[in-house]
Amino acid sequence: MHEISLVQGLLGQLHDIAGQHKTTRILKVTMVIGPLSGVVVDSFKFGFDILTKEDALVKDAKLEIIIPEVTYRCSNCQGVQKTAGERPHECAECGDNLLIAEEGNDLILQQVEME
Amino acid sequence: MCDACGCQTHTHDHGHDHGLGYSHDESVIVDINRSLFAANDAMARSNREHFDEENIVVLNLISSPGSGKTTLLEHTIDRIGSEIKIGVIEGDIETERDAERIRAKGVPAIQLTTGGACHLDASMIHRGFHQLQKEPGGDAIDLLVIENVGNLVCPATFDLGEHKRVVLVSVPEGPDKPAKYPKAFTSSQLFLITKTDLLPYFDFEVAEASREALSLNPALQVMDFSSTTGEGFDAWLDFLRELVRQKQGE
Repeated sequence: MHEISLVQGLLGQLHDIAGQHKTTRILKVTMVIGPLSGVVVDSFKFGFDILTKEDALVKDAKLEIIIPEVTYRCSNCQGVQKTAGERPHECAECGDNLLIAEEGNDLILQQVEME
Repeated sequence: MCDACGCQTHTHDHGHDHGLGYSHDESVIVDINRSLFAANDAMARSNREHFDEENIVVLNLISSPGSGKTTLLEHTIDRIGSEIKIGVIEGDIETERDAERIRAKGVPAIQLTTGGACHLDASMIHRGFHQLQKEPGGDAIDLLVIENVGNLVCPATFDLGEHKRVVLVSVPEGPDKPAKYPKAFTSSQLFLITKTDLLPYFDFEVAEASREALSLNPALQVMDFSSTTGEGFDAWLDFLRELVRQKQGE
């Protein structure tokens, strides 16, 4: 359940952003959670729900989650395949199995809507 | 539909007041695009630079509890502690027990107790390393081994500033761990299959575990051995010797 500590980090960032924009209420938070980030989306939502309850800045904030595709690039021919996260067994172009995942690893605070 | 008051309009520029102390036209959308891992990753980079300046090779050991991380370290110290100066940072939720086991081998070791947190992060390692340097012998080490909290899930997400990430699975755990906990295997460079002296008693095929891991991460190096009998252990020791030799040649 490292998602709880990640949500705590998020709340810290939201307070900083709110301070910079002089707002006291955040309406919506948009996160991008890569399928390879090691973050369980349901656990992240659960952490967000419980940690925002007691925090006036975010207690009404909606959480929107975007899950991007992962691009696997062949290290031999540079051919790419996109998947929902699972690793293709081999390159569709040349059959090589050394495919390198690009993106999909990150957890990004993309956008904040505030008053 | 508007979540706050249930009004059917969707745009945020209609400017009516809901009597809730706000109006929609005050809503501001700001693009942030900042990684939640950014703070940890920046600290991890700074740790790695610091380790490089001091020519210290750093390993991060990740596995479930009871796979033999501490036993691996004890036998490693016994076998090459006289040629490579080893320091250890132990991560556990509670107790000093693992650090005590390592100190009993005459090697500087400190214990980080996370008090419930399921992983170590880069700032804990930053503090832990400075603490380790104050221990006898802690200011002159060639190889720092970080034994992460026993957990195959959460530690895989946090870069600590290590040079190599090492994932362990012991024979009694079964060969399906790579498939079930992929992140630990996709983010590691070395996969150790431990307790191979128990192979006669368990339904564990080394080739199957190795194949499962390589299908997730074809660049992974795989070794299998028993720390207690020493069978296959030389490959691990040679791996450490080579890492230290390369680091000191830089």
